[in-house]
Amino acid sequence: MPSSWVDAILAAGAVPASYVPDASAGRTDLEGFTGADGVEDDELRTYCVADARPLAPGAVAFLDGIEQWRVVGYGGVTPIVRGYVAAAVRRRGPDRRLRTAGEVSRELAITRLDALAEPLRRALAESGVAVVELAEEDAGQPTRAIQAARRELERARLAEERGLAERCLAGLGPDEWLVVDGVLSDSAALSAHRRAIGVIKSHGAQYFEGAELERALTLPAGHRTSVFQPRSRGARRAIYSWYLRLWPWEGNDLLYGLLRVEAHADAATVARASALSAWLMRERSPLSTPDARWDRLLYPIHDVETYLRSRAPRDVLSHPASRLPRTGS
Amino acid sequence: MIQTRDPEPIGRVVATELKPATPHQFHFWTANETTIGIGAIVRVEEPGPGKREGGRVVYGVVTDGFAYSDLATPLHDVVSAEGDPARAAESPSVRQEIRLWTAAVLRQQPEEPLQPVPLGAVYVASDADVAQALRMDAYVSGAQPSGIPVGLYTAAGLEAPVYLDADFLLGPEAAHLNISGVSGLATKTSAVEFLLASIFEHFPAHKGRVAALCFNVKGPDLCFLDRPGTLDDADRRRYERLGIVPQPFQRVRYYAPFKADGVNLNTLRTHPDLVGDVEPLVWGLSEVLDFAEVLLNRDDIDAKADAFIDFLSDRVLNKEFDDGFGGGHRVQTFADLDGLFRAIFDGLELSGRSDMWRTHHIATIRKVRNRLSNISTRCKGLVTDDGPSSDLPWGGFEDRTVYVVDVANVDPLGQDLVFARVVSKLREHLERRDLGVEAVVVFVDELNKYASGDGPETYVRKMLLDISERGRYLGLVLFAAEQFRSQVHRRVVGNAGTTLFGRMDADELATPGYHVLSPAVKIKLATLPIGELMVRHPHFTQPIFVRFPRPAVLRGRDGVERFPPAADLSFEDAVVRQLARLDRRIRPNQVKDLIAERRPDDVRRALAAVRRTRPDDALAYFRRMLGARVAPATAPAREAVPPLNPISEEPY
Repeated sequence: MPSSWVDAILAAGAVPASYVPDASAGRTDLEGFTGADGVEDDELRTYCVADARPLAPGAVAFLDGIEQWRVVGYGGVTPIVRGYVAAAVRRRGPDRRLRTAGEVSRELAITRLDALAEPLRRALAESGVAVVELAEEDAGQPTRAIQAARRELERARLAEERGLAERCLAGLGPDEWLVVDGVLSDSAALSAHRRAIGVIKSHGAQYFEGAELERALTLPAGHRTSVFQPRSRGARRAIYSWYLRLWPWEGNDLLYGLLRVEAHADAATVARASALSAWLMRERSPLSTPDARWDRLLYPIHDVETYLRSRAPRDVLSHPASRLPRTGS
Repeated sequence: MIQTRDPEPIGRVVATELKPATPHQFHFWTANETTIGIGAIVRVEEPGPGKREGGRVVYGVVTDGFAYSDLATPLHDVVSAEGDPARAAESPSVRQEIRLWTAAVLRQQPEEPLQPVPLGAVYVASDADVAQALRMDAYVSGAQPSGIPVGLYTAAGLEAPVYLDADFLLGPEAAHLNISGVSGLATKTSAVEFLLASIFEHFPAHKGRVAALCFNVKGPDLCFLDRPGTLDDADRRRYERLGIVPQPFQRVRYYAPFKADGVNLNTLRTHPDLVGDVEPLVWGLSEVLDFAEVLLNRDDIDAKADAFIDFLSDRVLNKEFDDGFGGGHRVQTFADLDGLFRAIFDGLELSGRSDMWRTHHIATIRKVRNRLSNISTRCKGLVTDDGPSSDLPWGGFEDRTVYVVDVANVDPLGQDLVFARVVSKLREHLERRDLGVEAVVVFVDELNKYASGDGPETYVRKMLLDISERGRYLGLVLFAAEQFRSQVHRRVVGNAGTTLFGRMDADELATPGYHVLSPAVKIKLATLPIGELMVRHPHFTQPIFVRFPRPAVLRGRDGVERFPPAADLSFEDAVVRQLARLDRRIRPNQVKDLIAERRPDDVRRALAAVRRTRPDDALAYFRRMLGARVAPATAPAREAVPPLNPISEEPY
């Protein structure tokens, strides 16, 4: 006799799980179901990549970006946000060490200028800082303004990443690959390049439903799905994609260790999907702990993030000191 | 040669709340591939207000090193390798690593105000930096330089000479040198041999003349200082860099006592090609009596015995003396002294008047007689019963000369006697300024034995303490070596201005005296290769590692292979050899005919007289000293002596 209802459902065949990562809780810009077309198979299937010969590029460039911000002042009730975005490419050669091959960074102020008093506007103008304007409808409520500022900052980061990625592609060697943290389809150059892949850790967008969705999200460790083509959304370019499970999800969460890989939409991608997957399986080591997303975060991407955070201005993030009011003494 | 400093920084000072930079210590990181290691000297430059305008400059020596990666816990490495160590090496990426170093400050410029080390760039030290860092600029150059090369600082591809200050090595500012290290690596002896050569070459002219007196206390260690050893190109390059000519000592005088037979020398330098240089060391009653305390157990030295020995020294020795029973004595030898004792005992017994003689109780006299008469037995070969002495050239010490006193095969009691007397005589002559040199380095090995921290209060230990505490004012400098510094008397090692450490035993390094050293420095000391030393010197605020070339002299063990000791000669042949050494015209048969049927003691006495006088015609003088041939006669039977009065107040 099971001792609790949890035991009862496990006994009935439910897979035990424990951890709910942030991404599975949803994102503010959560995409809905968009659908996908089968490329490798008509219906989504799973493939074991254990026996596949891993792709072994001579060199690999890894690209990632960061964003940091804080509210540095208010003009009336309109927040003035100081934002910092940066992106870097760290290249790994035959010695297996990662070295910086390129980086960009930018500081910006995000606010609604016409909601500020004249002296504030003048001070911002004279400081030379790049100002990103919030839409009028976003600037009225402070909470909403801050959410909007975060979105602007993310856009700025993505733009920096895209620009750096495209410059990196131009200098990519013949046996060199570029691995981007995130989607490729935002950039025409990236989605068209045969040696660029995108590694997506968050799974807001849904491409399948029903049995195919279950097949995708219960993928065993060391397996990939068939290559599929996400249906075009807005300005996004055609791309091929597949899911890959790095670590066993049982006992954790459906998205635990689950990556979605994006690559150029052509037959060669289908042909080497297993080789690419086997390569990414090798990238599980070393672990990117102590980052909480280590089950999906490749170590080189983690390394780029660490590098960027070490280079970021020290005063962008709020000081961890107490925010209690100061006493008179 | 001053090398130009590499302008490229090799590291950068970092400071955190947990690891702050202080005025005495700082931390810096370097690339993983770096030439820096424990003991390396670095230079920190504070960024100045303008290009090439330097701010504060700090010199430091690396005392510890750390390496770590971004691995949160070892378990994560196991997980990523799926439990297979072989797979861990197959990771496509190498984790980020850091090489973080801790350095102790050697010097800051400007020195005031003393501030925490700035968070500046770190450079490998150049020759000039090493001189600055170790404050050698104060004594290596100038009108009266007093630098004595002790070795080469070698790190990061640099070889920079390191100098000791003669004023702090040989006095008067500080003095003495102590060297510790495990036995069997020949580092201690080699280091002292090299340093003596360096002193002889670089001892400043304005400080006068210097000599060295070395006690060879074990094996053949110091028996071949005048013979060239084997050097390789690296050694020769180091000698050149240090400004020292790689050659054996030009002037070495060897002294060794005889064996018990009184004619064969008690040393391993008895090869026929070399034994001619060895002078016998023989002492008689007058040389020994002043140091009777050395030969007697501490329990023996009560006030009464001491007073009686003083009486003998002051009133009897070398004087016409009436024993009070009608007998006259002139005591010059142990045999004479024994005659006096016999006369006193006989006189007291026959007169039956008392147990006291000249305020000394007969039991005290018997005890002193017993101990003194045993001396010539226990130290046979060194102490002669009735012959004249053969001694070191007191008053005639020569500049840049090594005097080796070989007591390796002498009874420990004899070693103590030799040490006590030689050092006392040195002190005596240095006080009078008539030794012949202004400074003498006395090298004593096995300090654990002679100045043990927890051993009995011996005369030798008192002498070593005396030298270490007052010798520097006289020019009497102690170079001492031992295996375990922690077991040597604290005041002896504490008074050594300069300390050298060779490879150390791990147990020794765990003792409290080494707590000031970092674990990394201790590990380096525990694995130090032959030819490398850690140096502490008053001018150096931190210990420095140096490398020194092999001494240019034949090592003891090589010496005995190249010059194997000769077998002991028969009495006649040994006498022949000694006379022939003094006069090459002497034929063996002439000597053998002369000494046939002579008493060995008579022969030894005559031989000693020839040795002391060194006449032009040695054979004639020997014949004269030998006197007329005396037919052997049986000794007269002693008269029966009545027993002593058994009733006595004497506690003995």
